Amino acid sequence: MTDKDHKCTCDEQPLVPTIVEVIDIIDRTPDIKSFFVRNADGSGLPFQVAPGQCSMVSLLPVGESMISCTWQEGQEYQEYAIKRVGLMTDELHRIEVGQKIGLRGPYGNGFPVDECKGKDMVFIAGGIGLAPLRSFIKYCFKNREDFGKITILYGSRSQADLCFKEELFDLWPKEPNTEVFVTIDNAEPEWDGHVGFVPAYLEELNPSSNNAVAVVCGPPIMIKFVLQSLEKMGYSDDQVITTLEMRMKCGIGKCGRCNIGNEFICLDGPVYYLRQLRDLPAEW
Amino acid sequence: MKVLSKQRLETALNKLSEAAEVFVPMQKGGQSGFFSWQSFKNEQDELMLDNLNVYQSPKGVVLPQTEKMYGIKTQGVEINIDQVYEDDHPTLIFGARACDVKGILAMDEVFLTRGYEDNFYKARRSNNVIIAHACYTPGDNCFCYAMEVNPVDPAGADVIIRDSGDVYVWETQSEKGEAVTAQISDLLEDKDVKLPELGSFKIDVDYTGVAEKLKTMFDHPLWDKISEPCSNCGICTYVCPSCYCFDIQVKMWGDEGYRFRAWDSCMYEEYSREAGGGNPRGAAKERFRQRFLHKLEFFQERYGTPLCTGCGRCMVVCPNDINIVRIIDAVKEAEVND
Repeated sequence: MTDKDHKCTCDEQPLVPTIVEVIDIIDRTPDIKSFFVRNADGSGLPFQVAPGQCSMVSLLPVGESMISCTWQEGQEYQEYAIKRVGLMTDELHRIEVGQKIGLRGPYGNGFPVDECKGKDMVFIAGGIGLAPLRSFIKYCFKNREDFGKITILYGSRSQADLCFKEELFDLWPKEPNTEVFVTIDNAEPEWDGHVGFVPAYLEELNPSSNNAVAVVCGPPIMIKFVLQSLEKMGYSDDQVITTLEMRMKCGIGKCGRCNIGNEFICLDGPVYYLRQLRDLPAEW
Repeated sequence: MKVLSKQRLETALNKLSEAAEVFVPMQKGGQSGFFSWQSFKNEQDELMLDNLNVYQSPKGVVLPQTEKMYGIKTQGVEINIDQVYEDDHPTLIFGARACDVKGILAMDEVFLTRGYEDNFYKARRSNNVIIAHACYTPGDNCFCYAMEVNPVDPAGADVIIRDSGDVYVWETQSEKGEAVTAQISDLLEDKDVKLPELGSFKIDVDYTGVAEKLKTMFDHPLWDKISEPCSNCGICTYVCPSCYCFDIQVKMWGDEGYRFRAWDSCMYEEYSREAGGGNPRGAAKERFRQRFLHKLEFFQERYGTPLCTGCGRCMVVCPNDINIVRIIDAVKEAEVND
């Protein structure tokens, strides 16, 4: 791996953020908000993020967190869908439109969108795990003719916890040659959709592995069982892609903590084919 | 050959200090390490050029224990980054042993290659000169020879000095070294002296094949046994000349403050704990395994050299008698199922 080279698209101070402005905030679920940002002077974006890449989002005086960019709309804005899980995200959920925050990136390899062209796409997500996949899903719809059938399977704990509802229920099902399946963990009075966990529903739906690629993101336990289901359904390790998360500080493969084996998830990942993960120590 | 008389050493250090902050191994208060020559007080401090390893290696000269990164001002919703603290003041490390120089070379790989150059490290390192001190008499805990380090001809030095009785033989190794040599040329003399021979190492260890074998040993029961005494105190990472992991934190007083980085340690539970509560290395054994695999396998795979330089400090300071040489031996002896 000594010949591994990375292309840096940042300026000469990769650890120093650029100040951007939060131009809109949307409540996605009770504990997930979308933050829309662009340059503080209104002139576009500090850097370009490809589907699956991440940025270090910095809120003072609290801290910095690595967040997968859920969508970049041209030069207009980047959207980060962020769940309230800790100190920094808790504070972030209290800010209002107009707040300046720091942003640095883009980090990581992103999804192998070109390698997936011509394939049927099966997106499988749980909870906030839909946020990174959404960048790829929206990319597919923007370049619809490049991809075959698109199947989206998404689950969360409850109806209220379903993220990106408008897209799940109104927009994406209307796309050509596309099926969207949504499930929640437990039955609720106002819910007439599917009830149950994602892996079991996936096996029930059984999307064909023929010329297909499955892209998976969600809580570790969901990923674990989904990978088992995909194997049972005939998906090879070359047909399964996932995106990992680890605690990160620098984002550029220096600070040490996000390694799995000799890989740094911030730099070499976060997106991996299952075949690549099989070569790494079982810490993912 | 060029030599520097030991009687002229202090004059030389004074002269070198005119152009750079010179860090010299010394005993200062309760700790020994590489401290600024300007801070040396004859009646209190003691030069330790003759000692093999002082307590703290010179890694802090290029990667300080805490380092300001940039200053911040906030006003309402506004944020300004008003200053980036790149410290490029000239520094010179005088008398680093080969193992410690190797530690800095390993950090060069981390901070200056693989796509991103760390501008803070680069600023310090590009104006840093290393005068290495060749070792001829290995100490009780030395095993650098097994970790790709040549104690007599340290790689990466700008000048090498060799102790020969009343003088140090002075060998210039690089362009940076030539500039330093020119600076004290009037103190150097031409003289042929006899160089000592390298004595024998007291520690017998062989790292050959260990990285490759470890690749098959992630789940080996050996880790349970050898990690058991470890209390995850982190002192091994603190004194290690090549442990470079850092944390980034922020310090604010009202509307003003700065971000800084500080040495961190993979021994601590918080190091890899995620905001959502998950931790891939939540158990003490997992952190222990991470440290030794990083030293002996992962770094070798990624950068082509081990991250242990054989200085022996961690074995001396460990309160629980954990010994990396015995770990290498245990790995070599372990039975693995193919």
